[in-house]
Amino acid sequence: MATHDANLSPGRRMKIPAATKTRHLRKWGLPVETLVLGLTLLLWIVMSISTSTFLTSNNVVNILRQVSIDSIIAFGVLFPILIRGIDLSVGSVVALSGVVCATLLTMGLPIPIAIALTLVLGVAIGSLNAFSVYRLGIPAFIITLAGLQAFRGGAFLVSDGTSVFGLPKALSAFARAEWLGIPSLFWSMLVIGLVLHFILSRTRTGRYMVAMGSNHESARRAGINIKRIVFFAYIVSSVTACIAGMLLMARMSIGSPTAGVAYELNAIAAAVVGGASLFGGRGSVLGTFIGALLFATIANAANLLGIDSFWQMVATGVLIAAVVYVDNLHKRRQSGMK
Amino acid sequence: MLKSTPISHRLTPVALAFTAATGLLMGSSAQAQDQDITIPVVIKATTASYWQAVFDGAHQAADKLGIQIEELGPANETEVARQISIMENLVSRQPSAIVLAPVSNDALAGPVEAATDAGIPVVIIDSGVDTDRYASLIATDNFAAGQRAGHALAGCIEKSSGNASGEVAYLRTNPNGESLVSRDNGFLDAMKQYPDIEVVDNRVANNDTAKAMNDTLDLLNRYPDLKGIFADNQLMGDGAGTAFAEQNAADDVCLVAFDSSELEVDFLRQGVIDSLVVQDPYMMGYSGVWFAYAASQGVALPRSVDTGVHVATTDSVDEPDFTGLLDPKQRQLTPYLAPTGSADSTDSN
Repeated sequence: MATHDANLSPGRRMKIPAATKTRHLRKWGLPVETLVLGLTLLLWIVMSISTSTFLTSNNVVNILRQVSIDSIIAFGVLFPILIRGIDLSVGSVVALSGVVCATLLTMGLPIPIAIALTLVLGVAIGSLNAFSVYRLGIPAFIITLAGLQAFRGGAFLVSDGTSVFGLPKALSAFARAEWLGIPSLFWSMLVIGLVLHFILSRTRTGRYMVAMGSNHESARRAGINIKRIVFFAYIVSSVTACIAGMLLMARMSIGSPTAGVAYELNAIAAAVVGGASLFGGRGSVLGTFIGALLFATIANAANLLGIDSFWQMVATGVLIAAVVYVDNLHKRRQSGMK
Repeated sequence: MLKSTPISHRLTPVALAFTAATGLLMGSSAQAQDQDITIPVVIKATTASYWQAVFDGAHQAADKLGIQIEELGPANETEVARQISIMENLVSRQPSAIVLAPVSNDALAGPVEAATDAGIPVVIIDSGVDTDRYASLIATDNFAAGQRAGHALAGCIEKSSGNASGEVAYLRTNPNGESLVSRDNGFLDAMKQYPDIEVVDNRVANNDTAKAMNDTLDLLNRYPDLKGIFADNQLMGDGAGTAFAEQNAADDVCLVAFDSSELEVDFLRQGVIDSLVVQDPYMMGYSGVWFAYAASQGVALPRSVDTGVHVATTDSVDEPDFTGLLDPKQRQLTPYLAPTGSADSTDSN
């Protein structure tokens, strides 16, 4: 997956995006993603040597399960970030979708219908966010911060403040299932990741998003349908959060209104550590996955090494700061070289 | 306006008569004048069914007393600042009394003293607080409850592997609440009585079920010979139970958890959770409101009341003793309180 340099003029990018990408790949490689991938691999190697429990099929399957839901949310959040927006509501949407889907299921609705209705909810939330940003001109940070509160409140209202219990056993059976030794949750993440990767790298919509994030005004002048792109980005973000919410619900076998607290921040951190720029126009699905994998590995390693839970939080914070700093250094050098 | 005046004059005596009649009908219980008393019940987390049981008990008591309660509390036990601001707002509203389950023993001490200074009696439920300026404390003796959990875990290990020995670990909700710390200390104290059992690890899961599940998976992985896990509250129990079910760990590893969500009780029936240490949140809410009402009438109350714990196992889960404890909706207080009606008369001045 390519990184996208915000310094390029959008006009030029739109004419020959593929060629530009390849040249940059050759010239600079994959800066942050490479660094983070290196860090993750290093951590895996160190853990494999220093503990006998890390590189066991059981533990690897655990990490894959743990990274799946976080990655799916992070993939979604990447889309608004690409167009220089943000979506802070996804953590609350995870809770709301889990609680809504669980309530529908306990009312006796068949599983496919409950899932479909919950996805419709995701489309509605995404459309609402996009409408507020595009038509009402409310800053994305503010409107999705409002959503973070409102949707969490909605989750409490729907569930009457407590967990929704009594889901069909088929759901937890799905969440626990493995296929070819790989957990179903990870397969779900792979499918969603591949679809979103394809959209970003192979479709016009994807290229327009990157162009728009790099330079909003030029993109508009170049005739890109900004409205369509904004709606697409926020709907992707909400719908993936709904999918993640339902997967989490299936895995926990309860719809919990407290699920997903602060997940939006983990998702944004994964995207940023994976090479996304909060100023838009830069970021990738693969990089985001690597970012999420690094965080999941740190959490797992801390547990296996018995490192204090609080030190683990500190370490994660320091790591985010360090990675973004190194990335900035790299970018500065890049523009210097020009 | 002029036309309507005679009508309202004509209506007023009717309304007065109605009020008087109602007063006469209810007068015998001396409760009619208390209809406007509202006692706020501030709990730790609106999202756990444990606290819903507290509210259920509180409502039951309020119905008996003919007063109102107001359900308040942060969404999560970790929101200390939120609960403090709830208390501050209450003090300025001057209710007759407050029932409070403090999320933090030191941070809530100030607000409790402020309420007492303002002449509002505070009945503390569930968890202690670092001040003695409250009306009464109605709680589980959490140290003793933690010990019960420890003995239940040791008993399970002895039953499944022949002797009480091996490695155990525990999941902590958060290291901030007095009730949870006492519970963990009680657990560790009980474990000391089994020289062959070693407590090898503990994880803080921040009252997040998903984190409790991941931490449990990692504990099971890190210690392949682990014999038991203790989960120190309901959300920890939900998470640990889900992890056990996912890993099919129930046969090899004992799991003892606290409280009784529907998910936990389901796990207990399946044998995924071996024992649940069940408190009596319903009784805390019920007696909390009675005590708060009594305190608002100037009654001096006992300093502390222990509401006790019970250990439910997979074998005993369906015994009638546990029905009301495991499912507050089925709670029956009648055998103890209703026939004599003595409880009513004790408190109605």
